[in-house]
Amino acid sequence: MKKIFLSFSFSILLLSTLLGQKKITGVVVDEIGIPLPGASVVEVGTTNGVSTDFDGNYTIDVGENSSLEFSFVGYGSIIILVGEQDKIDVTLNPSNELAEVVVVGYGSQKKVTLTDNVARVTSEDLSDVPTPNLFNAITGRVAGVQINQTNGKVEAGLNFRIRGQSSISAGSDPLYVLDGVPLINDDESSNGAPTNPLITLNPSEIESIDILKDASAASIYGSRGANGVVIITTKKGRSGEASFNINFSNGFSSPAKTRDWMNADEYIEIFTEAAENGLAYGGWPGNGAAYAEARFDRYSDYTWQEGAYDTDWEKIALIDGHTRDADISMSGGSEKTNYYFSVSYNDTKGIVRGNELKKINARTNISHNFSDKFSMSMNLGFNRTKIDRIANDNAFVTPLQAIAQAPISPAFLDGEPFSNTVYANFLLEDKYGFFTTIIRRATGKISGDYKIIPNLKFTSSFAFDSFAQTEDQFRGSKTPFQSTNGEGTATNVQTENYIFSNYFTYDKNFGEDHTFNAVLGTEYNESNRRFTSVQGEQFPTDDFQTLSSAAEITSGSGNTTAYSFVSYFSRLTYSFKNRYLLKLGLRYDGSSRFGKNAQYGTFPSFSAGWILSEEDFLLDNGLINFLKFRASWGQVGNAEIGNFASRGLFGGVSYNQRPGIAPIQAENAQLSWESSAQTDISLQFGILENKISGEITYYNKDTDNLLFDQPLPLSSGASSITKNIGRLKNSGFEFLLDTKNIVKEDFNWKTSLNIGINTSEVVALPGGNDVINSRNILREGEPLYSFYLPEYAGVDSQNGDALYYLNTDENGTLNKSTTSEYTDAKRIVAGNPLPEFIFGLTNTLNYKNFDFTLIFQGEFGASIYNSAGRFQSANGDWFDNQTKDQLNRWQNPGDETDVPQARLGWSNGTGHSTRYLEDGDFIRLRNLTIGYNFPEKINERLNLKNGRVYLSGFNLLTFTNYSGYDPESRTDAGGIGQVFYSAPAARTISIGLNLGF
Amino acid sequence: MRKIKESLKVIFCLALFSCDQKLDIEPAQSISVDKALSEENTIKNVLIGTYEEAGQSASFGGRNHVISDLLGASDQISWEGTFLEPRQIFTKNILVDNSFVEGLWQNSYEVINQANLVIDNITVINQTNESNRVEGEAKFLRALAYFDLVRHFGGVPLRTEGIVDYSSDLNIQRSSEEEIYNQIISDLNDSYNLLPQSNDFFADKYAAGALLARVYLQRSQYSDALDAAHDVIVNSGHELADTFAGAFNNDVDGVEDIFAFQVTSQGGTNQCIIFYASQSNGGRQGDITLQPAYFELFGDDLNDARYSFNYVSPDNGGTLTSKFTNQYGNVPVLRIAEMHLIRAESNFRLSSSKGMTALSEINTLRARSNAKPLSELNIDVIFNERQLELAFEGHLIHDHKRLGKNVGSLESNDPKLLLPIPQSEMDSNSEMVQNPGY
Repeated sequence: MKKIFLSFSFSILLLSTLLGQKKITGVVVDEIGIPLPGASVVEVGTTNGVSTDFDGNYTIDVGENSSLEFSFVGYGSIIILVGEQDKIDVTLNPSNELAEVVVVGYGSQKKVTLTDNVARVTSEDLSDVPTPNLFNAITGRVAGVQINQTNGKVEAGLNFRIRGQSSISAGSDPLYVLDGVPLINDDESSNGAPTNPLITLNPSEIESIDILKDASAASIYGSRGANGVVIITTKKGRSGEASFNINFSNGFSSPAKTRDWMNADEYIEIFTEAAENGLAYGGWPGNGAAYAEARFDRYSDYTWQEGAYDTDWEKIALIDGHTRDADISMSGGSEKTNYYFSVSYNDTKGIVRGNELKKINARTNISHNFSDKFSMSMNLGFNRTKIDRIANDNAFVTPLQAIAQAPISPAFLDGEPFSNTVYANFLLEDKYGFFTTIIRRATGKISGDYKIIPNLKFTSSFAFDSFAQTEDQFRGSKTPFQSTNGEGTATNVQTENYIFSNYFTYDKNFGEDHTFNAVLGTEYNESNRRFTSVQGEQFPTDDFQTLSSAAEITSGSGNTTAYSFVSYFSRLTYSFKNRYLLKLGLRYDGSSRFGKNAQYGTFPSFSAGWILSEEDFLLDNGLINFLKFRASWGQVGNAEIGNFASRGLFGGVSYNQRPGIAPIQAENAQLSWESSAQTDISLQFGILENKISGEITYYNKDTDNLLFDQPLPLSSGASSITKNIGRLKNSGFEFLLDTKNIVKEDFNWKTSLNIGINTSEVVALPGGNDVINSRNILREGEPLYSFYLPEYAGVDSQNGDALYYLNTDENGTLNKSTTSEYTDAKRIVAGNPLPEFIFGLTNTLNYKNFDFTLIFQGEFGASIYNSAGRFQSANGDWFDNQTKDQLNRWQNPGDETDVPQARLGWSNGTGHSTRYLEDGDFIRLRNLTIGYNFPEKINERLNLKNGRVYLSGFNLLTFTNYSGYDPESRTDAGGIGQVFYSAPAARTISIGLNLGF
Repeated sequence: MRKIKESLKVIFCLALFSCDQKLDIEPAQSISVDKALSEENTIKNVLIGTYEEAGQSASFGGRNHVISDLLGASDQISWEGTFLEPRQIFTKNILVDNSFVEGLWQNSYEVINQANLVIDNITVINQTNESNRVEGEAKFLRALAYFDLVRHFGGVPLRTEGIVDYSSDLNIQRSSEEEIYNQIISDLNDSYNLLPQSNDFFADKYAAGALLARVYLQRSQYSDALDAAHDVIVNSGHELADTFAGAFNNDVDGVEDIFAFQVTSQGGTNQCIIFYASQSNGGRQGDITLQPAYFELFGDDLNDARYSFNYVSPDNGGTLTSKFTNQYGNVPVLRIAEMHLIRAESNFRLSSSKGMTALSEINTLRARSNAKPLSELNIDVIFNERQLELAFEGHLIHDHKRLGKNVGSLESNDPKLLLPIPQSEMDSNSEMVQNPGY
C-alpha cells in the first residue's frame, strides 16, 4: 500500500515538473490562529492534493491558472485563485460548533474528531453575569453538570457535580486544572462553613472552560479524574495590533426569596396558647400563660403589651448588596511574541449582613518563539481576596438565625443591639466582632516547547500554585457569650503545589488518510501545607484587637502535611480518512496517600468514533450534514482522601499542660484508589446545514472500591474507618440540542437546550448492611444518601397530637397505621437529596446592535430537608418565631390540619420526620442580559474598536413549590441535602459598559 | 531518532530516580499505632491522653453531671435554654438520636478503649512502681467510665481489651449490670492496691477508694461503702474546705478535691459553666435556673451558706447556682464532703458509728455552711442533705434510683429515666438491644 502510494506521488511529482508547474507554500490555521494539521489542500478539478503537516504547513506544486481548495472537517472550505502568489496562508473558519478546539490535558483536540466527551464553555458565556464566583456563570450551560453555590454567602463553597456524585466519603469535586496547573482546592475555612478556594479566579481572565466528562477524557489525569476534570484556560494575546479592553459594571443585589414569619401579635397569640397547653399537658413549664408572659416581658423589654415593637428580623439579616466590577486588559503580539495583561477588581457586598468580598486579580501571559524550533511561555496570575465573613449556619451569631428571634424584641435599643433576645443577638457580633479572611494566591507556569524533529515536540513545564490565607477574628467584650474581655484568633495557612511535567507530542500524517498524534510523558506533583494559629483572650479594651495585646494566649497550633503524586501518562490518537477515529490512553500513578500495599495504580482508557457523514452514502446529503458516533470506556481514580488515611495513628493531646497521645485514626494498609469505570456512548449530529445540531449521550459510571468512612459501633472506641468497600453506579442520558432559529444579516436567534438525567444507585455495601448517617441512609438499591426518616402522618383531629406512620415491616408490607409515639415509628427511605433531572436552556438573540441572552436552569427530583424545621415550623414548641403557616395549628377537637397542637416544650411533632422534607424542584431564570453595541459611527467618533452597554440580571425569577428560602441553597454546617438557616442566593441586576480600543 | 532516545532517557530518569522516595511522606503530627503502644514513654502518653479524653465535654467535661441532674430533676430547677437535647432530658422525653446521649456513650467507650490499650501493653514499662501507677490510673479511668455507663444505660457491652484492628468483628452484646459492676469493683480494688498515696492531680489510691465508696453505696453495700469512705477520710489527707464556696471554682485542686478533671484556659472544658453560668461567667446565659422547690429543701434555715450560694443572671433574670462561675475552674468529680455523707449514711443504715456518729458527721458538714445542726436523722433527711451539699454535681438521678424516690410523677424505675442506646450504636452494632421504652 505504502509502496503504491509512494510511487503514485512520485509520478505526480514527475508529471508536474514536466508541465512546468510552480511551487506554492503556506500555512493553514484555524480561526484563532492555531495551525490545522491534516487539512487538505487540493488543486481544483484535479486529484493533485496534499495535507498540511503538524504546523499546518503545506507545499504543493500546481499549474499556473489553477485554484486551490482548502478544507478541513468541520470547517468551511475556501477556494483561492493561485494567480501570481507563491505563498498562500489561509484561515479556515468553523462551519459549525463542532469545529472548535477543546483542551484535553497535555494538548488540545478538534472537537470534530474527538472521541471523548468534553464540553466547552467560552469567555462569551462567562462575561456579563454579575457574580464574583466564576462557576456561577456556567450553571445551566453544560449537560449533566450540576453547579450550585452552597448558599447566599459570597464566599460560599461550591457544589460542582459532573454526572452525579460518584463517591461517598472521598471528595466529589472535579479536578480543576488552570493552564495545566492542578489547582489547590482545599477548603481552609476555620469557622465551620466551607469557603470556595476558587473564588480567587477571575471570570474576565478566562478564555475557556473545558469539562472532561467521561472517563476516557479524564483518564489522562488518572487517579484524580474520577469526578471529571475542569480545564480552565486563560486568555492569550494574538498577533496583531494591541487591543485594550475595559469593562465596568455595577450591580444591585437582594435576596432571591424571603419567607413569611409571624408578626408580634401572632407571636404572642401562639406562645400564650402553647404555654397554656404545655401546662395542661404535663405540668411543665409550671405556670402556663404567666410563664410565657414573663418571657415576653424579657424579650420585649417590657413593652409587648403596648405593642411597641414588631421587628422583621429577616429584613435585618438579609439586606441589599452590590457587585461592582472593573476589568482592564491589554493584549496583542508580533510575529514572535504574544502578550496578554489584565487587572481587575471586584467588590461584592453580600445579601447577608456583614458579608463582603473584595478581590483584585492581575495576570500576565507571555509567549515568545525564539526560533522555529524553540518557544517559551509564561503565565502568571495573582490574586488578593478579602472576605468579611459571618459565622456558619449552625451558630447563634450567624445573621440568618435572627429569623428565630421574637418579633416583639427590638433589634436595637437606644442605638445598641438589644441583648435580651430569645437567642444571642447577632447584631452584637456584627457590631463588636469581626472575622476577616484574606487569601493571597499566585498561580503560574513556565513552559518551553522544543521541536526535536518537525513532527516531534518536547514540552517541559514547571508550574506553581501558592495559596496563602490568613484569618483574623476578634470578638470584643460585648459580643454574645463573651466572658474573657475579648478573644482573638489569628490563623495562617500556606499551601503550595508544584508540578513538574515533561512530555513528548508526536504528530504525523501519513498521506491524506492517516493522522497520528501521540503524547507520552511524566509528571511529578508535590503539595505542602503549613498551618499555624494563635488564640488569645483578656484584651485591655476592645480597641486592642490583635493578639499582641492579649494578656493570655490560650492556644497555639502549628502543623504541616504533604502529599505527592508520581505519574506517567500516554495518549495515542489515530484517525483514518478523518472519519474513523481511535484513541488509547494510559496513566500510571503513584501517590503518597495510599497504603504501602497499594501505592500505584494503572488507569487505561479507550475510545473510538466514526464520522458517518464523511461516508459516501451520506456525503452531499441535503439533510444530514454531520453525523458522528462515538463510544468510550475508561478507568479513573479518586484519591481525594486524607493524606495519611491508610494508617493507624496516634496524635498529640494535652491534659493540664502535660503531653499525651490518643488514637486518631484506625489503620487500613490496603487502602487504595477508588476506581471508577465509565462507559460513554454518543451520537452527534448536525442537520439542515447545522441549523439543528446536537448530541445524545448515554453513560454509565460504575465506582468500585469506594473510599468509604464506614461507621463503627461507637462502643469500639472509634467512630469510623476508611475502607475501599462498596459499589456505586451513576448512569444516565445527556441531550444537547442547538438550533439556529433565525439566521439573517441583522437578526440572529439561537437556542441551546441541554438535559441531564442521572440515576444514582448504591449497588453494594459491605455485608449488604445499611449505613445510616443521621438522616441519610446508604442502602443497596437506593439512591445515594437517601433521606431516612420517620413518616409524618399529620395530626390526630381529636387531641392535636402529631401522628406518624408506624411503617413496621409486616411480611413485606409496611404497616400504615399511625401512632403518636414518635419512637414507635420506623424510618423509611423518604427521598433523594440529589437531583435526577437537570436542564439548561439558553436563548441568544442578536438584532441589529442589540444582543439578548436568556438562560433558564432547572433541577428536578431532589428533596430538601429543613433541619431547622423543628424550630421554625414547630407549632410553638419553643420561643423561636414561627413560620406563618403554623397559625393553622390544631386548636379544638375536630380541627383538620397538619399542624399539631401548640404545646410549649413538649416536642409535639418536632422530631425529625418527613414533616420537614420537601421537594426541591425548580426552574430558575438564571440570567438575562440585554446589550447594545455602539454603532460604527459612535465608535469612530470615540476612537473605539467596539463599545457596548448592557443590563444583566442574575437569579431573576424562580418557579418552585418549595417553601424554604432557595431550592439551590443548602447548609454549610454539615448534613447532606439539608438546610439550616441557610441564606438564599442573591438576585442581582447590574449595568455594565465594555469598551475596546 | 537518537535524540528522541536520549530525551526519553532524560525525562524518565528525572522522574524515576527518586520516585519511591518521593512517595515516602511521613505524617508530622502523629505516630503509628505500633510505635504508640510499644514504648514506655508513649504508653505513659496514652494514659495522659485517656485523662484528656475523659475530660472532654461529652462526659467529665461536665455534660455527664448536667445529664444526671436534668434527668433527676422535676421542679427544683428549670431548663431555660434553647438546646433541644438537654430539654429532652429534662422533660424525660428523650429521643434515640439525642446527641448528648450519644456523646456520653461514645466518649465513655473512647476512654475505655484507651485505658484498655494502656492495660494491655503495661508490660512495656519496666519499672514496677511506674507500671503499677500507670495500670492503676488506667483501671480507675476505665471504672469511672463504666460506672456512668451502667448507671445511665443499664447493662452495656463490656470491653476489657483494647482494639487496634478495626477490620475485625466489632459487634458485641450487652453484658448484665452485674457483670459490669463486677468489673468496676475489681478494677477499683486493683487500682487502690496499685496506686500511690498521692499522685499530683492524677488519680491516686484515695481517688480509687472514694469511687469505690460511691459504687458500694449505689449497690447498697453499706458496710463496704463505710470502710472505703472511712479510709479516704482518715488517710487521704483531704478535708473540708473552710468555707462552702472554697470547695468550688478552683483553678487547681482544692483541699477538698479527691479527684477533679483539670481545666485551664489552654485546655480542658467545663460544660457545667456552659449550662449553669451567665454569659459574663462564660456560660450561655444560665440555661438551668433554680426554682422555688429547690429553696424549699432548706426549710427555714436561711442562714445556710448553701441557701444563698447563687446569683441572678443578668442575661435572663434567672437564679443560678454559684457552684460554677469560674470558666476555667476544674470539674470536680470526687470531693471529701461526699465521703462524709457516704460514711454517715452507711453508719446510719448499719447503726454503727465508725469514725463518728452519722448525726454528728452530718452536723459537722452542716456547720461548715453555718447551717443549724440537725437533731434527728432518717433516710429522707440524709437524701435532703445530699441534695443541699451535692446539688448539680451529677448525683441526683442516681440517688433517686438508689433510694427509690419518684422523679416528679415517674417512679424511680421508670424506663424513661434510663437513657436510650444511641441510634448510631443500634445502626452499627447488630447485636445491640435497645432499652425498653425507646
